[in-house]
Order: sequence, then structure tokens, then C-alpha cells
Amino acid sequence: MRMLSAISALAALAMSATATFAADRPELRIGSVVAMTGPASALGLPEKNAIELLQERLANDTSLPFTVKFITYDDGSDPTKAVNNVRKLITEDQVHVVICCTTTPTSMAILETVTQAKVPNISLALGQSVIEPAAERRWIFKTPSTDQLQVTGLVDDMVKRGVKKVAFLGLEDSFGEGGWIAMQSVAKAKGVEIVASERFSRTDTNFTPQALKVRQSNPDAVYIHAIPPSSALVHQALKRVGYTGPIYHSGGSANNAFISIGKKDVEGALVGTTPVLVYTDMPDSNPLKPVIAKFAALYEKRFNVPKVDIFPGQSWDAVNITLRAAEDAMKAGVNLADVPAARAMLRDKIEGVKEFVGVGGIFNYSPTDHLGLDKRSTFISVVKNGEFRLYESK
Amino acid sequence: MTDTVLFLLVDGLTNGLVYALLALSLVLVFTVTRVVNIAQGEYVMLGALTLADLLQGRMPGTLYLLIGGLVLCAVLDAGRWRRDWRRASLYTGGLIVAGVAALAVTRGALALQLPVIGMMAVALLLVAPLGALIYRFTVHPIPNASTIVFVIISVGVSMSVQGLGLLIWGANPYPVDPIAAGGVMMGPVFIPYQSFAILITALLAMGGLYLFSEFTLIGKALQASAMNRLGAQFCGIPVNLTGALAFLLAAAFSAVSGMLLAPLITANYEMGFMVGLKGFVGGAMGGLIDYPLSLLGVMIVGGLESTSAYVASAYRDVLVFSLLIPILLWRNTRARAEAR
Repeated sequence: MRMLSAISALAALAMSATATFAADRPELRIGSVVAMTGPASALGLPEKNAIELLQERLANDTSLPFTVKFITYDDGSDPTKAVNNVRKLITEDQVHVVICCTTTPTSMAILETVTQAKVPNISLALGQSVIEPAAERRWIFKTPSTDQLQVTGLVDDMVKRGVKKVAFLGLEDSFGEGGWIAMQSVAKAKGVEIVASERFSRTDTNFTPQALKVRQSNPDAVYIHAIPPSSALVHQALKRVGYTGPIYHSGGSANNAFISIGKKDVEGALVGTTPVLVYTDMPDSNPLKPVIAKFAALYEKRFNVPKVDIFPGQSWDAVNITLRAAEDAMKAGVNLADVPAARAMLRDKIEGVKEFVGVGGIFNYSPTDHLGLDKRSTFISVVKNGEFRLYESK
Repeated sequence: MTDTVLFLLVDGLTNGLVYALLALSLVLVFTVTRVVNIAQGEYVMLGALTLADLLQGRMPGTLYLLIGGLVLCAVLDAGRWRRDWRRASLYTGGLIVAGVAALAVTRGALALQLPVIGMMAVALLLVAPLGALIYRFTVHPIPNASTIVFVIISVGVSMSVQGLGLLIWGANPYPVDPIAAGGVMMGPVFIPYQSFAILITALLAMGGLYLFSEFTLIGKALQASAMNRLGAQFCGIPVNLTGALAFLLAAAFSAVSGMLLAPLITANYEMGFMVGLKGFVGGAMGGLIDYPLSLLGVMIVGGLESTSAYVASAYRDVLVFSLLIPILLWRNTRARAEAR
């Protein structure tokens, strides 16, 4: 009996302590839903790791004018689960900002939910359709670069080289289709003619016919929108049929699998990439370099990985943008306890984020641009001696 | 233009031969056990990934499947202990010996760092018994089920094995060394040595199967079960054993085709299903019972695939699978003519 009363006294003490603590600094609640399991877990787990890392670092940080509570759920790469968990975050956990989701299908599924509840959401998906048109996607932002932006960077380089005719080779799934749509509009805008468009799938056993067709269309450059192994195998097939011009790849090939499969054949391949992959080659004057270097060092040490890839940076940026917006909102006198008003204010402040240097690039959100990235955040890498090196466009 | 035609021809032939090994497996399994084995392509994946592991000096994940399967086998036969403990202990002992032998052989091969051909043999040793195990778990308990039940079961097996493959190896593709690196320029066309390896192995496999079934007692038992299951049983042929043997041999052929294919396209968990289906389209040409016609079928599939990928790449699979319709129509008229 004495024991019990002692415990309850302690509990009361603890509660009053947190109460006074909370009164000192209001609480910002960030809810995230990522794919920790399921087919997209290779992307979702690093994203979760980065959030965890930031959570650990903020636990003892008193410099912010608020405390941060993180609530993270798994969607199993499943749109239905994503919607349920986002609902839970909004109604039960009363979060101020949602960070969701890892893939484009899951991010599309929750649009309705966050828009109706009027909660700002930062997506980690590649697809442009998640944030466009910006007028309809008032509450949605995203941090990863898009196909459109990357293809623009690559086509700009083609134009500089004097390329007039380009051939497209892409996967026949939603990923390849995204590349094809981007390529069509960019090529048209830049005055480059698409002379061939060939498709293949990940389970194909032979890529030579498509390569032959491409070679016969006589392009000045080839663009391949696929992921390894197919992207590397198509590259090899092009070499086998005697194509010697420049070969460009989407960011889907910016990984080690591409080189380990393509080996010597992919030397000289030009691969569109986000800054993370090539930051060590950047000049010190580039504002991205110190930010990425710091993040990479933290992440690599905490999770014991040799080299950080692009995914953790996307959720790292999403949380940091939220924190920046929350700081701005605090300056404008937001009351975080009034959740609906705080959500609306935070949305406006996220849209107002300017020149934010993140791991994935320099963000400038605006009412018409919820991606916020521009040319300064896309890079081209070239495969040299079995490594990705920064390629300086001529 | 001529070099284009040559390229398409060579690649069509190479792929046709890979599918041929699949069609061979399908016909063998169907004739002996009446199972239309949709899961046949998964052995392609298992063979390729096992070889990839061995070549990179890792213990192959296939061992989990093999040893897990042997344990399950022992558990399923636990009921025998009460009836006849002497034979049951012999059986269980055999399973244990098989498991230990598989482990020992793999360890030895890894320690010796065998060349590609040697590793292929070890991989074959690990994958082929999986065929017999799957027969034990899925077909053996219901020998008189209808063909459609077997089809559905094999779809289930295919999904489960592919899921296990994803679990064990993950979604990453693994590069695999060819038997002989490089290739040769024949006129304007560069042909990798691997294509020749595929040709030779496919011919050896087909010849081997022919000789085995014509000139050995076990081979003849296989043929007998294929012709008339009940009759074979009356003649004292253990049809359950011939069924398991058919599954084992088919798994071996398919695994070999996976190991030959992997250096050209890398090994990954989802590579098998499509190859299996294309082998099936070819096999349908022979009604899944006629070896020569099935071979003709897969060569047509390989050629059509190659040309359609060139002419209209977005529709190449549609064209290949549409081939089933004329094939079935043709088989139907033939069957009707025979009936008359």
C-alpha cells in the first residue's frame, strides 16, 4: 500500500514537472508515415533513420523556441494503410505537420485526407503529380527532386553539346512513363527532336532489338530512363550494337548497382543526380557542400553505413523545413495549442521558406511552386574508373 | 540492314534455347504428373541466385530452403514412426545425411573457389532437390486431383517461392560471371561466348534426356508413367517416385537455364516468372506432351520476341503471348481431325 502511494506521488510529481516544462516551451508535433516495410522499404527505412537521428539531436536541444514531439508510423508501402495512419496522426495525435509518404501512390492516396483536414503535408515521393497543380495542392509540399527537373538538367547539357536528335529508352512502368512525359515536354521546349522511343521491362532477357532500333534512328544522344539492372543492360546493348554517342541516364541509375552490373561498359555514362552523391567533388564555394558533409558525417556514424544515399536526406530536409517554418511561425506569434490555426499558419510559413539550404538542394517554396528546387540542385555525374564523379557541363 | 537481321536472329536463337530448357521441363513434368507447372520459372531464379551467391563466396540462401524443406519432410513423415520405425528412422536418417551433405559440399566448394562450371554443378545439386521437395509437399498428398487444382497450386508455389526469394536475396540484382568472358565478332555481329555455352548446354541437356529415357530402366519407368499412370502402377512402377524424379529433373533443367541466362541479364528474384511463361507458350505448341513440337514452339517464341521488340518494343510481350491464340486454334483443329 505504501509502495502504491509512493508511486502515485512520484507520478504526480513527474506530471507536474512535464506540465511546467511544457508551459515553458510549447510542443510542436510532427507526424510521419513512411514505408518501413513492403516493397518500398529500401527507401522508407533510411527516411525513418534520418527522422530518428534528428529526433535524438533535438531531444537535448534547448535553442528552439518549442519542443518537438515525433510520431512515426509505418505504411507497409500500402496506400490504404497510409491513409489510415495519416488520419490517426491528424485526429488522435493532433500533429501540426504531416510528413508522408515514401512513394508516389501512397502520397497520392493521402491528398484528400490532409487537404480536408487542412494539415500541411511534406511528401517524400518522386512524382510531380503529388504537388501539381499547386493551386489544388495547397497543403502539399515535397522535398525530392522531380523527373522534369532532372531531365531539364540533362537536356540542357545535350543542347550545349549541339545535340539535335535524341532517342528515348524507358521502362514500361509508371517510372518509365514519368520519364517519357518529362522528356517529351522538355525536348519540345528546348527544340530537341525525339527520333526514337523504345520500351523494355525489368524482366526482359534481351535488350539488343531496342538498341538496334535506336542506333538506326541515328540520334546524337540517347537518354535511358530506368533502374538497374535494366538501365545498365540497355547501356551494354547499345555498346554491343556499335552506338558510340553520349548516353544519359536518369537518377534511377545513380547507385552502385549500376556500376557493378555495367562494369567497363558504363564508363562515361552521364547520370542525372541529386547533390548528395557528388558533394565531395563540389567546389567549396557551393553552399550545399558543408550542409551535406555535416549530414553525411552524422548519418554515416550513427547508422554505420559507408556512404549515405539520397533517401535519408529527403526526410531530413522535410523535418528541417518544418522546423524553420515553425520558428518563423513562433516569431509571428503562433499559438501551437490552437492546433487548426497553428496548422494554417505553418502551411503559410512553409510556403514562405526561401533559400533554405538542405541536403537535397536549395529550397524556395512559393504559392505556385511546392517543389522549390531549381537548376542549382540538379547535377550530372559521370562514371569514371568505376565511380560517380561530378561532371562539369561545358 | 543485314547486321540487324543477324543480331535479331542470334539473340532470338539464344533466348529460344533458354526457353527450350524451360519447355523441356514443363513437358517432362506434365507428361509424368499431369501438373501444368506455372512455378517452373522460379527454379530459373533459384539457380541464378544460388550461382551468384556461390561465385561471390557467400553461403547461398538456397540452403535455408533446402534444409527447411528436408526438416518439413521429416515432420510430415512423423506418422510413419508408429507403423514402421525401422524404415522411418532410415528415411529420416537419409534426410539428415542429405542436409549435411549439401552443407558440406557447399562449404567445400566455397573453400576451393571452384571455377564457374564447378560452382554451377554445386548450385544444381542444391536447387534440383527442391523440385522433389515441392512435389512431396504439393502433388504427392493429392495424386488424383484434377489438372485445374494442380494449376492453382503451382500458381501458389510460384508466388511463395518468389516471395521467399525476395526475403532471402532482397530486390537487388546480382551480377553473375559468365562461363567464359568476352565473345567473338562474326561478321558485323558480336556474339558473347555465353551464347555458345547456352547452345552447347541446351543440346547436351536435350540429348541427355533422350538417352536417359530411352536407354535406362529408370528413364523407361518415367516414360511408362507418362504414357499410362495406372498401367505403370500395375506393372510395379512406383509412380510417386517417378513423379518426384520428373520434378527433380525439371528443376535441374530450369536451374541450368537460369545459370546460363544470369550472366546476360543479372540474377534477381523476379527474373523467373516471365521466362517460365514464355517457355510455356512454346510448350503449348506441342500441347505440353510433344518434345520436338515444343522445341519448334520456343524457337518461334524467341524469334518473334526478338523481332517484335525491334519493330514495336512497347507491344513485344503482347505479341508473344498473343501467339497462344493461333497455337491453341491450330491444336484444336488437329485434335478434332485426329478424333475423326
